[in-house]
Amino acid sequence: MSSRKPDTDGVSVSLIKGKARHRAPFLFLLPALLVVFAVLIFPIVFSFFVSGFNWPLSEGAGTRKFVGLGNYLALSVDPEFWNSLKLQLGFIFIAIPIELLFGFAAALLLNREFFGARLVRSLLLLPVFFLPILSGMTWRFMLQPRYGPLNALLLKLGAPEITWLGRPVTAYAAIIVQDIWRMWPFMFMLLYAGLTSIPQELNEAAEIDGAGFWLKLRSITIPMLTPTIMTAVLLRIIDALRVFSEVYVMTEGGPGSSTTLFSLYTHRQAFGYQKVGMASAMAIFLLCISIAFALTLVRKNMSLDSLEEKAGGG
Amino acid sequence: MKRRTRKAFISLIIAIAAFAILAIELYPIAITVINGFRRDIVILSGQPFKLSQLTLRSYQMVLKNIGFQLGMKNSIIIGLLSTGISVLIGAMASYGIARFRFSWRNGLAYSFLVFRMLPQISLVIALYLMFSYVGIRDTIGGITLAHTSFNVPYVIWLLLPFFTAVDKAYEEAAMVDGCNRYGVFFRIFLPIVAPGLVVAAVFAFLNSWNEFLYALILTGVNAKTAPIAINGLLGGETLTWGQACAAGTLMLVPVFFFTLGMQKFLIRGITAGGVKG
Repeated sequence: MSSRKPDTDGVSVSLIKGKARHRAPFLFLLPALLVVFAVLIFPIVFSFFVSGFNWPLSEGAGTRKFVGLGNYLALSVDPEFWNSLKLQLGFIFIAIPIELLFGFAAALLLNREFFGARLVRSLLLLPVFFLPILSGMTWRFMLQPRYGPLNALLLKLGAPEITWLGRPVTAYAAIIVQDIWRMWPFMFMLLYAGLTSIPQELNEAAEIDGAGFWLKLRSITIPMLTPTIMTAVLLRIIDALRVFSEVYVMTEGGPGSSTTLFSLYTHRQAFGYQKVGMASAMAIFLLCISIAFALTLVRKNMSLDSLEEKAGGG
Repeated sequence: MKRRTRKAFISLIIAIAAFAILAIELYPIAITVINGFRRDIVILSGQPFKLSQLTLRSYQMVLKNIGFQLGMKNSIIIGLLSTGISVLIGAMASYGIARFRFSWRNGLAYSFLVFRMLPQISLVIALYLMFSYVGIRDTIGGITLAHTSFNVPYVIWLLLPFFTAVDKAYEEAAMVDGCNRYGVFFRIFLPIVAPGLVVAAVFAFLNSWNEFLYALILTGVNAKTAPIAINGLLGGETLTWGQACAAGTLMLVPVFFFTLGMQKFLIRGITAGGVKG
């Protein structure tokens, strides 16, 4: 990681800084660095190492053998790998825009005072903090044939019941609906915070000029919210890339491979097929993608600098 | 006058719409809680709103379930341990970043932020091999260490805004009085930022409490956590929705308690450094 030039020159020389210059901050950072090295950096390096081997999980599953880039090449011709990647991308590209849309609409709707507004705004966030495995569990229950609430409702309306989690297409739709249900309030939370920070004078000035709802939306709200939207979407992508527990509890990747998202296939490679080398190659692949998105987010926000500006100003 | 009635009318419509959305949105959570109090026979009868014959049987069963007892106990121990360690280590590191100037400071701070966003599936396979080799797989210590791995970077970034907001004058005064760096940190600085530490501790605990993948791979019979026990309840061929939902509701208690109590810090808590300001 390249370190950026610290902007020490701009900061006034305080007593603390005068002393601090001679004392290394090293001792304060040492414990965190040790943890990061032991359980983050080392495992990454080790994964990379393992990904170069034909590495069976247990003794009985074969012998360990160096294969170089063999695992990566094997993945590139593995239809299951491409399937999991396709499902993962579909998951991201379907769920996140809908979450954004719902969140944005709700933020616009609820950005005013009415009876119970505060209560609604805070209770809406509960699903975001709902345990992922419980989300998987409750949706598995909701979609059960015969007694699941959704099918019970369908039967009452005279419609035929559907074994939602028993068919590939509906099961895939179900895990996406589950994610939308759980995470659109997250979008709402960030966008609502963004909306309330738009200066009221802007909207008032536009109203005096006779601007209607859509014009205000297009020329004030959306441009002002764009940075927030970008951040929210990036956070959601990074989060959606590592979806596991909800889907594991809900469908275990089935039926067949129809909901085997990337992390579920990685898990299956390692602990189902016992091919740790292949799984590690997948792990490294996903890691590279995640780091790319994380770096984009970090670079875009530059939180450290803005934190100091705020502290300096206050 | 007419304008006012119209405004009140619109406001009423919006309130109704908002509560309708809320009701639909919270139904899947409500049904989990309700199922915990319903008899299995009622659950399986397919009447999603029926509330008769409520009972505490599922709670009695699940609280007597040895696997869930162990999982709950482990979850609490692991949560508290990893929270304590992460807040201590994270606070020290966060202080180091907030108060010192060194050449790799920015790079380091941003690396912690990136580390927080790594997918667990990418790390868990290597951790499994490492922990097996060292012999700490399926131990409380091992899974605590694994939870510390995501909580330390998380706490560092959650605390930074609290730490940079503290006026340096307090520390300067203490140093003039002859206090050293570490005395300043532990005796002057930490008490000032205590509210921030509480926020960090609450969210770190929830991270650990909700965690599933590491527990699934890195624990077995001894150190399994409550989410693993709940997953076990769902696994068998006999459907025990009542017990699974009762267990789930018990797990939800601290989550709801904390999230509703932490309203002001929810955005910071869930994005920790990912959002400007």
